Amino acid sequence: MNKMISSLVLILLSLLVITQTGATNHDIDGITIHNPWVRLAPSNAPVLGVFMEIHNNSNHDIRLLSANASGYKRLELHKTEYKNGMMKMTKQGFMPILAHDKLILKPGSWHIMMISPESASNEGEFVMVELIFDNGSSKTLRVKVKKEI
Amino acid sequence: MFKKIFIVVVMVVIVLSLYVNFNHNYKGLSKQLKASFMLYNPDKELSYFSLVDHNNNKFDNKNFKDKWTLLSFIYTHCPDVCPTGLMDMSILKSILIKRGASIVPNIVTITFDPIRDTPEVLKTYVTYFDKSFLGVSGNQSQINQLVQDFGAYYERVVYAKNGKSTVFKNDKPLPEWALVAGYLINHTAWIYLVGPNGQIFAGFPLPHNPLEMADDIELLTENY
Repeated sequence: MNKMISSLVLILLSLLVITQTGATNHDIDGITIHNPWVRLAPSNAPVLGVFMEIHNNSNHDIRLLSANASGYKRLELHKTEYKNGMMKMTKQGFMPILAHDKLILKPGSWHIMMISPESASNEGEFVMVELIFDNGSSKTLRVKVKKEI
Repeated sequence: MFKKIFIVVVMVVIVLSLYVNFNHNYKGLSKQLKASFMLYNPDKELSYFSLVDHNNNKFDNKNFKDKWTLLSFIYTHCPDVCPTGLMDMSILKSILIKRGASIVPNIVTITFDPIRDTPEVLKTYVTYFDKSFLGVSGNQSQINQLVQDFGAYYERVVYAKNGKSTVFKNDKPLPEWALVAGYLINHTAWIYLVGPNGQIFAGFPLPHNPLEMADDIELLTENY
């Protein structure tokens, strides 16, 4: 009997995990986020970079309008580009994710910059980052702090 | 009289042949480089500079003498390019140590932004990537001179609340409001190899591949 109950619990738990995973991978708003991460930085780093892949599975272009995270003064959308021999980091009004396409946020390219952390982030910790899109949807991600991908 | 002229002529010939031979050797080396360019120019010496390292010690031309140095310019408010560069240099150092390289250069990074990057700030920031890294701050105009000597460049960008950006060239002081609003820095991101004579020897442009950089450093230092 005990064995039966524990098997049932296991099945239920597995179902729960499957449902959770499914929820992050097939959202009704057509946006899925893959491999989000915050780059581990020195304890006094005044800014931290957030990287991820944003997939747009819908038939419409979508814009990421802004990002928020508690514990930071503000978050900005940035793009680093190599222009005239210089690395230029420019603040962006939005990030475009084309229909049935993806936008890759990575070092040296698109990224979210988290400014003035209230405290240092350690490796393995999580930061809750909210993304707000122009289709009215928003997503809150649990983003792990790590050295590199 | 004739003897004197003869000595002078011989001296000139020796110096010229040394010079030609020197350039010839380095031209040969240049062709073998994978990730860098020879920048050595005997006619162009580094200006005198005097800065402050992250332990509040003086850092000037003498700190480059009789050793190899890998030098970069950074600013700590940079979330992307500068930490990547410092990470690359820590990987590069590990590669050289693992290979048993006879010369592992000292790694020094100078801030473009001494207003915000004081020696104390740099110490915590730079040593995070490797305990042996040395951060250097100091007088803005002295840093500007050094940036120019290395052929590097930077400019500060301030964003107004409406999103409009204003660019301040590196020799232009920032107004008070810009200091309050905060600013980003557009900058070149080369890593430089400084020779034991205290002069710029080679430069590594982006992208930085630590394995290829290690190959070049071994080649350059062994053939110096």
